[in-house]
Amino acid sequence: MIQLRGLQHAYGSHRVLDDFNLDVDGGEVVALVGPNGAGKSTVLRLATGGLAVAKGAVEIGGFDLASRPIDARRRLGYLPQKLGVSLSTVVSDLARLVAASRGVAAVEAFDALGDAGLGARLDATLGELSGGQRQRVLLVLASLGPAAALFLDEPAISLDADGSADVQAIIRRARDEGTAVLFASHHLTDVAALADRMVVLVDGCAVAQGGVAQLVAEGGLQWNGTGAPPIEAAYRAIVMRARAGGRVPLALVGARIA
Amino acid sequence: MTAALLRFELAGARRARVATIFAAGFALAGIGVALAGLSAGGVLSVQGFARTSMSLLQMVIWVVPMLALLTGAAAGSEMRDLEFVAALPVSRGGRVFSRWAALTATLGGAVALGLGAAGVVIALMAGDADGWRYLRLALVSELLLAATLAVGLWIGIAASNRTRALGIAMAAWFVLVIGMDLAVIALLSALPAKGVGAWLTAVLLANPVDSARVLGLSLFQADAIAGPMGAALRRVLGGWGAGALMLGLLGWTAVPLVLAGRTLKRG
Repeated sequence: MIQLRGLQHAYGSHRVLDDFNLDVDGGEVVALVGPNGAGKSTVLRLATGGLAVAKGAVEIGGFDLASRPIDARRRLGYLPQKLGVSLSTVVSDLARLVAASRGVAAVEAFDALGDAGLGARLDATLGELSGGQRQRVLLVLASLGPAAALFLDEPAISLDADGSADVQAIIRRARDEGTAVLFASHHLTDVAALADRMVVLVDGCAVAQGGVAQLVAEGGLQWNGTGAPPIEAAYRAIVMRARAGGRVPLALVGARIA
Repeated sequence: MTAALLRFELAGARRARVATIFAAGFALAGIGVALAGLSAGGVLSVQGFARTSMSLLQMVIWVVPMLALLTGAAAGSEMRDLEFVAALPVSRGGRVFSRWAALTATLGGAVALGLGAAGVVIALMAGDADGWRYLRLALVSELLLAATLAVGLWIGIAASNRTRALGIAMAAWFVLVIGMDLAVIALLSALPAKGVGAWLTAVLLANPVDSARVLGLSLFQADAIAGPMGAALRRVLGGWGAGALMLGLLGWTAVPLVLAGRTLKRG
């Protein structure tokens, strides 16, 4: 499970995250949505150790990231928005490293990459792959082996239709295996199809949360549960209202939506 | 896990072109210096190990810190962006050590390969007399490389971006190779003669490049060229001078690595 408490972060004097709280249970999929610069990537970077937590606390699988960083990171997988690995890295070298970190055999990582259609590119460097292939490599490796938490930052970015389907399959499999999944995305339709719960971030504050029906209602729209939900319109209404009325942060974004 | 990361970093460092450039550069420089050029009679002559080592020392003092500081700064700066690797269960100190060890092994191997290739040519053409001096020169080069790589890594991790890191690395090179010597000359003229030796020795140990320079010169019992630094060192530390300098260089390796690990943790 993932537990984020009172997270705050600023880049220089610009505060990008303000008292952010979130619980994600094992087997639950939560999506972070929000406009550019809302703080979605910052949440994920703080939760995975990419940024040092100055204020607040992060717990992964019961281990505090500050006091037990190795134990906490052993239980998480992370796909950053930016590549996060040198372009000169050979795919098989990275696969061996990740396999060792998860305590699985390297051949298991090679097989997973093979299943994703990358078996012939094991000796290539990441720089020799297309953007979509790179994204697939990192996605497969981020979700390799048993993990308590999976963090994905714009996982479907630069992927074709097959790649997007793979992302959805990986997220569903992780959920079925009891992994807590937290991902950020701009693709609201995909998000609505995948997430048990969505958290809307505006200017570093969580301003709304819930399942599709709840967010549609929160946006002041009607939906009878059949057909495509008007999630885009509801999202825009929530963001506009939050910006017009000032930021009203949710005290704790934790309750699972039935 | 740190062992797995070390293997990963070694694989990455081996692929970097800088190692090949290091090896080729040192081999060419070694052979080039050994070939003393056409003598007055128009016959190509080859210097032995003693004179070649003395000539190469100056190049080592200038070139090794520059390449190591720049390589370290670039590698350290990159570490801040490697979030996929940062999320793996390895301590920040382990990440810094793995990267430093991989770069030191690869670039150190390249220096050894380059100087070794030149050494074979020298031995074949001029004999192996004084070969030990050449070997010790290689050891001094490796110690200096390890220390300045560690300093470069720290600079790269502490700087806010790659451009700034490289700029600070160049400034550090200037200070270590030239600036501190100028400061020492000023110090000599400002301080009373009595007690200057201890100050100079402290300054010497405070600069890894000067430590390597005097350590290198001590191979040749070259008292005259060791200058005031070497004279002060001998007076203050006596026969322990070389050991103190080597310890100083090891300190200049360990301390920046610890600081780099802490800085990466805070970042």
